[in-house]
Amino acid sequence: MIAFLLLPALLLLLVVFVGPLFRYAWLSFHADSVVTGLIAIPNGGANWLRLVQDQRFWQDLGQTLRFSGVSVGLELILALMIALLLDQRWRGRDVVRTLTLIPWALPTTVMALGWRWIFNTPYGPIDHFTRMIGIGSLNILGDPHFTWMATVWADVWKTTPFAALILLAGLQTIPVDLYEAVRLEGGNAMVCLRRITLPLLRPYILLALLFRLAQAFGVFDLIQVLTGGGPASSTESVALYAYWNALRFLDFGYSATIIMASFILISLICVVAWILLQIIIPTHSKSQAVVEP
Amino acid sequence: MNRRFLVGLLLLWSLGPLLWQLYTSFCSDQALTQPFASIDQRWTLIHYRNVLTANPPFWRYLVNSLLVGLSSTLLCLVLALPAAYALNRIPCQLSIMSRLALVGAALFPYVLLFLGLLEFARGLNLGNHLLALSFPYAALSQPLAILLLNNAFNDLPPELEDAAKLEGLTLFQRFRWILIPLISPATASTAILVFLFSWNEYPIALTWISDSSKLTLPVAMARIAGSSIYSVPYGAYAAATVLGSIPLVLLVLIFQKPIVSGLTSGAVKG
Repeated sequence: MIAFLLLPALLLLLVVFVGPLFRYAWLSFHADSVVTGLIAIPNGGANWLRLVQDQRFWQDLGQTLRFSGVSVGLELILALMIALLLDQRWRGRDVVRTLTLIPWALPTTVMALGWRWIFNTPYGPIDHFTRMIGIGSLNILGDPHFTWMATVWADVWKTTPFAALILLAGLQTIPVDLYEAVRLEGGNAMVCLRRITLPLLRPYILLALLFRLAQAFGVFDLIQVLTGGGPASSTESVALYAYWNALRFLDFGYSATIIMASFILISLICVVAWILLQIIIPTHSKSQAVVEP
Repeated sequence: MNRRFLVGLLLLWSLGPLLWQLYTSFCSDQALTQPFASIDQRWTLIHYRNVLTANPPFWRYLVNSLLVGLSSTLLCLVLALPAAYALNRIPCQLSIMSRLALVGAALFPYVLLFLGLLEFARGLNLGNHLLALSFPYAALSQPLAILLLNNAFNDLPPELEDAAKLEGLTLFQRFRWILIPLISPATASTAILVFLFSWNEYPIALTWISDSSKLTLPVAMARIAGSSIYSVPYGAYAAATVLGSIPLVLLVLIFQKPIVSGLTSGAVKG
């Protein structure tokens, strides 16, 4: 009876999550493109060899890592600041909290189009601003030095509310008397943050980090609409490259290889990030020492 | 004072880009090129008229997205509710392991699945069927939905169901008359999150649907954007952005409580 309740969901999950991964693993050892008439022919490790030598893949991988690292880092710092602000009591707080959620709820492609206009040279407000303060026109979406920053900006804008909400949920679980105890012992706000807030927020920071890191690594919608991967594929992500290979070059075997490699890499990155953060964020036991002399 | 400044900054950061789109959408083409100069004929509704009378008209995409969103949410809940209930009634270790697997699946960047799902759609001839998108959408939101609903079932006192069992209620009756009504807040949160996901989803809709009258809103927006970054009709874009944002802004304003509680309980217990 119980199995009967679980089975439909389990089946759907297997088909949609596990099925494609096995298919990629299999396809990555086959040639399957227009050249072979879209018929899968085993080609040993040729796809993987090509991947290792493919400069564009490694460039895209570097760009994706830069995008994910910078954007998730900025986002967590910003989210922590917003969460601390929204955790205090003041009039109109609930309204502000709702309004800050709006960027998160909008479809990525809708605002990617909006950002294209905001970063437009010479008509967008950012360009007006840089010319006004004397930096001159930066040509943000045309200069590879700046375009990736524009993608990070747009991503941070959209996803910070989500991270802030998770951290806020964490902040609200911290008992107020802990802070009072630190204050009584003469600790200032900085001590509170380092000894109480951060350690107790740790599981929430880890959760937000892992989730956002995995999602940022798979960035696709934003890049495709905002820059199309350009200029000169300087903002192309691995997901976008896999998409081009499948839908534009019709090389499914190689596309599957790229996706498989990305999947393995992002799993590794999440594990490494997890371990690193375990080390960086001070643990709970140290914070206890402050409270209990 | 200090706080008021920070809150102002936060609101400007969150809403500024949207307001800029709103402002742009009412600007005539001539005014667009000089956003800060004073021009006689600055205000116009022509962009909205163009977008709404285009072929297919813009509201078509909104209707398409609404249909996909509703059917995906329904399918997802129908599958996730029994599964979330059953997850508490299997051996403990198996249950913990399945929950871990679900968290992993929820974290997974689903965009990587597009190729496998595309082949799946081709094999079963599901391309260009709007409602067929509900299958991948319901499946992709399944991990989060099961976790959220499972938390809700966990919070119910077990005596409740035992009493109902003694009264001779069947599993279906207990489900229908006792359990479902009690976890309706969690179901509402889940439903809204699934709906938001389905409404916003892009890569799969992009690869499954090519017929221009069947596009969902995100794909239609991207297609309006075309391929060129230069010399594009930004007034029309801005009008489309505003029209595409309104339903979601309303959704967030109306349902902010279940949205927040859904995301939060996912984080606190997940």
